[in-house]
Amino acid sequence: MAKQKSLKEEFTKGIVKENPVLRLVLGTCPTLATTTSMESAIGMGISAAIVLVCSNIVISALRKVIPQKVRIPCYIVVIASFVTIVQLLVKAFVPSLDQQLGVYLPLIVVNCIILGRAEAFAGKNGIVASAVDGLGMGIGFTCALIVISAIRELLGAGSLLGHGILPFPAMTIFILAPGGFFVFGLVMACANKLAEAGGGKKAELGGCKACPMASSCEKLAKGEDCEKEKEAVK
Amino acid sequence: MKKFDFKEVIVPAVSLFLICLVATALLAVTNRVTAPKIEQLAAETENETKKEVLKQANSFSQAKTVTLDSKVYTYYEGLDSSGKLIGYVFSTSAKGYGGDISVMTGIDGEGVIKGVSILSISETAGLGMNAKNEDFLNQYNEKSGALSVIKNGAAKDNEIQALTGATITSNAMTTAVNLAQSLYQKVGGENNG
Amino acid sequence: MKIFFSILLTAILTNNYILSKFLGICPFLGVSKKLNTAVGMSAAVIFVMLLSSAVTYPLNTFLDKHDLGYLQTIVFILVIAALVQLVEIVLKKYIPALYASLGIYLPLITTNCAVLGVTILNIDNGYSFSHAMINSLGAGLGFMVAMVMFAGVRSRLESCQVPKFLQGLPITLVAASLTSLSFLGFTGLVENMFA
Repeated sequence: MAKQKSLKEEFTKGIVKENPVLRLVLGTCPTLATTTSMESAIGMGISAAIVLVCSNIVISALRKVIPQKVRIPCYIVVIASFVTIVQLLVKAFVPSLDQQLGVYLPLIVVNCIILGRAEAFAGKNGIVASAVDGLGMGIGFTCALIVISAIRELLGAGSLLGHGILPFPAMTIFILAPGGFFVFGLVMACANKLAEAGGGKKAELGGCKACPMASSCEKLAKGEDCEKEKEAVK
Repeated sequence: MKKFDFKEVIVPAVSLFLICLVATALLAVTNRVTAPKIEQLAAETENETKKEVLKQANSFSQAKTVTLDSKVYTYYEGLDSSGKLIGYVFSTSAKGYGGDISVMTGIDGEGVIKGVSILSISETAGLGMNAKNEDFLNQYNEKSGALSVIKNGAAKDNEIQALTGATITSNAMTTAVNLAQSLYQKVGGENNG
Repeated sequence: MKIFFSILLTAILTNNYILSKFLGICPFLGVSKKLNTAVGMSAAVIFVMLLSSAVTYPLNTFLDKHDLGYLQTIVFILVIAALVQLVEIVLKKYIPALYASLGIYLPLITTNCAVLGVTILNIDNGYSFSHAMINSLGAGLGFMVAMVMFAGVRSRLESCQVPKFLQGLPITLVAASLTSLSFLGFTGLVENMFA
């Protein structure tokens, strides 16, 4: 599928057509958790994008060396190393961001976007294409986070990037957990509407297919979904 | 039983091991570079915070420790320009909603709180995080004795107005400050009497 | 004893890992369509959480002792991945009945942020070993409570007429929002109970 695509397409697909958050529905945990303020959302987006680009490059470079059997553990090691490097750098140079992101910074390791891209793209494509793919996906992730966090911060704290601008008291509920789900749901609905207008498909949870571990899941290999009763639900 | 396939087992194991090795080496290097920076940063923050909560002090002593209820706490003595002891800065913490809140409290020689500042906090954004606002922190200034938190009405002398929707955070902050006062009793008592 | 209950209830109700900490959202949205899959997944999560906390806690002490704290993330995730594989193999071989019901969820758990999250938070919160285990149990049980409740909500959603633009994932997220809103009601409960 990727063979014919130009680099430009690889880059832009991550931002719009295959936006990891709003189209592929990956990385939902950080999307909900770090969008309480634009500042932390941007920080998370950039950190994840850096990890994504670096791990994509390394995994793509090593794709012929890594044995098929242990590729998932290898990917995890590569990703975890970059996450730790980013974590240490953030601690050393942007300590306020480290406080804001807290446990979600090391949790970039299990961000499905990164392992998902390693498995779906970097493990099969060249270095340049993988880097571009990672960059596009990273920017797409960051953009989605910025949109959601802007809405949440504006309504929930009455400010944007920490500058208060709303003249009336803010609705705190928007920066609490329920507001996160709610705004994410509505942004997703808008994205669906836009995609529909553009002739695309609705975002849907791929069930097992979206899971980065899908390839190592026996059930899926046999053509069954974890939600094997999918059709039984009426 | 299948014959033990050397290639099937050893090659993946060795390559995984090698990748781990390289990764660890890389991390060790990064840590080497960043660790001093992180330490220096922490020291700087502490220094600035100390000055903030006990403004009248010119310099501070080295970190000292005090034991209360078999727990060890760190504190600093604040000195004026002539090197006279004029107050203390205590570093205490209490469990808030999202984890420990670390606080520095400056107390003068009379036992009056001169300033409270937060070293680390991970509360809910928009609620508990408002504890960082000066409006809240300034409530502690010039108070002394056991403080308590109230939710409604005007705060009396020994009361702290809770943050809206963040009573647990307010309680934790007050617990930490009260702990600092208990430490003051112990340290001040030893030195003065 | 009091502190055990306080940690347990906090992890289940007020600081629910899914609904207030946003850890483990993928399975929460992906595997909660049917009640039995939700229960199976949660049981596997509880088991893996307890096991990995029990292993990572002493490992972290070891790392700290040798000034290797910066290896925490990489060691934890590898240990969890290896443990999950190990459990899968052991279950398959010795307890096939259990494997049949839990086995399919195990590979999904390796990259579940709730599991890595609970092991890291145990350390960050400065828990002792026993408190860490209780916290892991609470996190797992909280995961189950949220999954089971949400499976119920979703089965009702199936039979509802939803406006077209909200159909599918958006309405699921809005439903999750309301479920999480109900958990917000527990705020302060535990503190006041044990105050």
